Amino acid sequence: MPVAPERFASRRDTVACLICLLCAVAARVAPVDIQLAIASGITDTIAAPFLALQEQVELLKAARATVTERMAQIDSAVVQDLETESIRAENERLRRLLDLSARLPLQHVAAEVLRQDDLADETMLKLSVGRDHGVEPDDPVIAPGGIVGVIESVEARTSNAMIWTDAEFRASAMTQDDDDNYIFGIVGPLTSEGPTTTLMELRGVPFRRTVPVGAMVRTSGRGLELGGVYPIGIPIGTVIAEPEEGEREGEQGREGWSRTYRIQPAVHPAALSHVIVLTGLGGDLADAFEVERR
Amino acid sequence: MKPISERWRLGALLLFLVVLQFTVRPLPEDARIEGVMPDFLFLALLVYAIRARPGQGAVAGFVVGIVTDSLSPTAFGAGALAHTIVGYLAAWGKAVFFADNLFVNAAFFFAGTWIRDVLVLVIGGHVHGSAVFWQIAYFSPLKALTTAIAGTVVLLLFRRLLHIRISE
Repeated sequence: MPVAPERFASRRDTVACLICLLCAVAARVAPVDIQLAIASGITDTIAAPFLALQEQVELLKAARATVTERMAQIDSAVVQDLETESIRAENERLRRLLDLSARLPLQHVAAEVLRQDDLADETMLKLSVGRDHGVEPDDPVIAPGGIVGVIESVEARTSNAMIWTDAEFRASAMTQDDDDNYIFGIVGPLTSEGPTTTLMELRGVPFRRTVPVGAMVRTSGRGLELGGVYPIGIPIGTVIAEPEEGEREGEQGREGWSRTYRIQPAVHPAALSHVIVLTGLGGDLADAFEVERR
Repeated sequence: MKPISERWRLGALLLFLVVLQFTVRPLPEDARIEGVMPDFLFLALLVYAIRARPGQGAVAGFVVGIVTDSLSPTAFGAGALAHTIVGYLAAWGKAVFFADNLFVNAAFFFAGTWIRDVLVLVIGGHVHGSAVFWQIAYFSPLKALTTAIAGTVVLLLFRRLLHIRISE
């Protein structure tokens, strides 16, 4: 390797080195009190800014660890809360179903909704009861809130229920005006909203009769002897509005001497996990649901 | 005499290394291996020593050593003594065997760190038994290796700033 003689140690370098070595040896052999005093003096002066910097970094590190820990705790608490809430809601639904079941005056069977996660779920429900449980086509399907639909086809241990969102769904309905006079009509899904409708409509209300907003619409039980399927008194929904004149004219032309009202359904199919299939005929169910509504 | 701008550049780099010593080391435990982190303070001393006269290297070594001892006064003075010797020898060694070769520089950083650790252990006498062996044969070489790698990176990153021509 090449040599750089101009940078060899001079006498001055040697002296500087010796002085430093002497100082270092002195520091090494000095009494502990003096050593600590020197150390303290240096950490309080030369090293102080760097130690302050290190302290800030340590604080940041601790803060980061704390934030991570808190986030994990919050996440766990949220998950736990969601699970608890879900279980509580499920519990409440089942409790209401049991209560309704105890109050029903006619033969019935409880069923679980078997979700299929396909498009048919919006108009059809697969139920966990079938022919073996006494279920037959055209049996009404209800939930603690009110009407759900009707059994369309039956297998041995399962059945398919057409729910009120289906365009073919119809139910004979009744409600009351401000003078407690009964008003009758036909309820079906609000088809103008398409297959994913969340509303119903009450059609065929005589033009001279007015249904107040907020009035409860129930099944009328009419035509049971002629093949109708719903017993009297099952809640269908609540009147929320009368459609604008032009709205109905634009879709279906003039209704003539009748009015049509929009209804907020008593039961939304998406929230269903269990239902009741009415296997017996007749009877007034208004009292059973009246308690539920209270 | 070095130009003033070159002194400022060198000073800035040394300050940067000192700041690294106090900011990188407190990293989360999972991001480093305890005890084998690069010694940026010692690296600053070596970077300075290879550009200084042996006397200046010895003084710088003494300052770095006494500060290190103050931060952890277990064997006060041992660090000052070891750093003084290594600082002097580093400056003297570079004067005799100067080479702007990357591997030689890495070996220089490695040897400097390891010799410093051995000197501190011997002079300090605060580690006993098999711990001395593990310190000299395992932990010190690891620390020397990480310091050498860090030193090589520093030289590569700041070679223009330091006017160093490095041949691989």
